[in-house]
Amino acid sequence: MKEILAIVRMNRTGATKKALVESGVAGFTAVKVLGRGKLVTDQEIISKRKAQLMSMSFDDVTESGATEKLVTGFLDDTRLFPRRLFLILVHDEDVPRVIEAIMQANRTDCKVGDGKIFVLPMVDAVRVRTGEAGEAAIW
Amino acid sequence: MILIRSIVRPEKKDAVLAELSNAGFHAATVIDVVGRGKQKGIKIGSMVYDEIPKTLILLAIQETDKDRAIDVILKTARTGEKGAFGDGKIFVSPLEEAYTISSGLKGL
Repeated sequence: MKEILAIVRMNRTGATKKALVESGVAGFTAVKVLGRGKLVTDQEIISKRKAQLMSMSFDDVTESGATEKLVTGFLDDTRLFPRRLFLILVHDEDVPRVIEAIMQANRTDCKVGDGKIFVLPMVDAVRVRTGEAGEAAIW
Repeated sequence: MILIRSIVRPEKKDAVLAELSNAGFHAATVIDVVGRGKQKGIKIGSMVYDEIPKTLILLAIQETDKDRAIDVILKTARTGEKGAFGDGKIFVSPLEEAYTISSGLKGL
């Protein structure tokens, strides 16, 4: 029995849900969280996305440079930004399949910020309705 | 690898995150939670408050960095000289696998 924690983009919540259902997990819990990843040291990686976001902004109505600072802060991980955390309980043998499904649903060409997946051991689980414990409680 | 879940005061969140970043643990996930501890909440007059807002910080790190990270959180999240009730808790659990979605690589 394993617990999978997957931190994904907010706008990929629907795609992740679909992928999880298709890969056959019994259920999951989703929480809104804030997070940050590794600091981006190579500005080249985020330059394309930054240019895209800057072209959408109105820098003439705000203080000069404020928008750029904000955009950069979000892209290079110095700020906390919103993400969705999925908590999924699965059988041992399903772990690689579910991880692959989450990765397929969440990979973008932004190179950074697609999220992380953690796998933790889970000691026991109990289904409240029937009182079943262990592997039977998952699915 | 291990996963550290630390529950700290909301007002200490920024300080803890900044100190963790300085110590080299930049990546973190933050969740707003409510909870109560051993003291059964706070009693003010006849009113008992047992849903006290706290901040849960998830930190995935290497096992060798465990003591250093815990030390940073303990030092920063403690209030006053000796600390006070309500400063929070730190839980450590084993982390078997970690993946980065953008690259598909295994490991932190």
